[in-house]
Amino acid sequence: MAASGCRGVRSILWKYGSCGKNFCVSRSKTVPQLPVRQICVSSSLWKKNLAAAGPQKFTQEFIDKQVEEFEVGKRHLANMMGEDPETFTQEDIDRSIAYLFPSGLFEKRARPVMKHPDEIFPKQTAIQWDAEGRPFHFLFYTGRQSYYSLLLLTGSRWLLKEEIEEYLVENISDHDYVRLIQLMEKLLSMPYCSLEEEFILKFRKQLEAQSSKHEIPALQYDPQGVAFSVADGRRKTAKASITLRDSGSGNITINGRNYLHCFPLLQDREQLMFPLHFVGMLGRFDIEGSVEGSGHSAQAGALRLAISRALLSFVSEGEVERIRQAGLLTADPRIRERKKPGQEGARKKFTWKKR
Amino acid sequence: MCVSLSLCLVRWSRYNPYYLDPDPSKDARVPESELSPEEKELQELKTVSPIKAALSSDTSSAFNDPLISKFINMMMQDGNKILARGIMTQTLETIKRKQVEKYHKSPAAKREEIECNPYTVFHQALENCKPIIGLASVQKGGKSYQVPVPLTDNRRRFLAMKWLITECRDNKHRRTHMYEKLSQELLAAFANEGNVVKRKHDLHKMAEANRAYAHYRWW
Repeated sequence: MAASGCRGVRSILWKYGSCGKNFCVSRSKTVPQLPVRQICVSSSLWKKNLAAAGPQKFTQEFIDKQVEEFEVGKRHLANMMGEDPETFTQEDIDRSIAYLFPSGLFEKRARPVMKHPDEIFPKQTAIQWDAEGRPFHFLFYTGRQSYYSLLLLTGSRWLLKEEIEEYLVENISDHDYVRLIQLMEKLLSMPYCSLEEEFILKFRKQLEAQSSKHEIPALQYDPQGVAFSVADGRRKTAKASITLRDSGSGNITINGRNYLHCFPLLQDREQLMFPLHFVGMLGRFDIEGSVEGSGHSAQAGALRLAISRALLSFVSEGEVERIRQAGLLTADPRIRERKKPGQEGARKKFTWKKR
Repeated sequence: MCVSLSLCLVRWSRYNPYYLDPDPSKDARVPESELSPEEKELQELKTVSPIKAALSSDTSSAFNDPLISKFINMMMQDGNKILARGIMTQTLETIKRKQVEKYHKSPAAKREEIECNPYTVFHQALENCKPIIGLASVQKGGKSYQVPVPLTDNRRRFLAMKWLITECRDNKHRRTHMYEKLSQELLAAFANEGNVVKRKHDLHKMAEANRAYAHYRWW
């Protein structure tokens, strides 16, 4: 029979390992008049295309099941540790796991972890098409339907590029982000943009809240009744910790020595005096502190930050805002940039040779 | 607030773009009624935005001058801020000494015109050195022309400072100290004489000579 003959041909081809060769397939039994069609078959059809599959996808049921298991497991863990399952927080979970599975691995991310599945499995877009393969959204074939639909609709505010990427669960380039912001601006300049107010508010930058949320250290009193406050400060790798005492005479003692010995340079001493001079309370306080790490300039910066923070408890609300606007309360984020491989230093490259 | 399209990824900053620059000066706040609407808006923005940390060369003292700090940074070589700042202090002291000497030697009629404050002398000298118009090289039809072009404030200040420093480093006698050379040059610039002011005038003359090519500028 032709069909079995086909199978025979196929088996012969398999035996001789000739994949990718043409061979005839015919349904001769049912429709004998159909011409024989040449169909090319290669291993790419039956082998799984790993590259095209993309990142591993998780279905919604899988994630829901994981969430359920996590909740049940949380209760079991609480029972094991002898604590109340109702008030078992994530910190308690971390503590219990560290206790039950002690790991000596240096890489913190390689240690056993138990977290809510939403934090472990990456966020993915839901299936975008129905059972027949037709996409739901009319902009699906642009490849980035969320982004392009934003451009059509009105409204905006200026979230950072990373925040917008998080919101859209899609990657956008710098150029796209800039274009988005330009169009948003143009839109806001039009009349009647208030009709889309709520949509605009969705992109409102979240920096609406008051920026003066700095923790004011508590004012303590020592046995003599003198008020003092304790604060820390950091800059590069320098760590400083000081005690600001009231009713003093402007003495500054650092690591047990007078500040003139510690900081022979005028610039460093100016930095120490800066916060006190700014509020005009130079001769009022006694400063006693310790500092370690990094160089003289960084140590002075760390002390300045610590003094400003300690000063907050002696000063009124309006003054706190003024101190903040002087830039005294922000921890300087600048650190030494690492050296990269293939370069001489952080930025310097090796000599460029044309050939 | 317009986001520029030229995203230079090389010159990035550890702060996110919403951080505003700090204002470490201690002066009394201008009362509400005298502020223009833009300044009121700026004040509002400052209350809700995060602020960058103050630099370690800025203080709230009256002697802290942003222009002097900029000049010190430009003079600094290999990160030796101590030396640069020392030279600057010595320069200001030398200027003061020379001016006070001149003050005491001159007759009573001319004493009022002599400026003894070294900071004013520095500012005025720098102003006198700033070029108003500059030249840019534009390629057109295979040939490159020097086209007169307006300069931004930052660029003018930078050129004035750069000329002062190179002039003092290169064209003076080897055995004199930098602070001496600088004070001589600054006092000359204060009186609109000296090599730096001459260089500025040369640049202006070149720009005037190349007036014909001014329309080659498209920006």
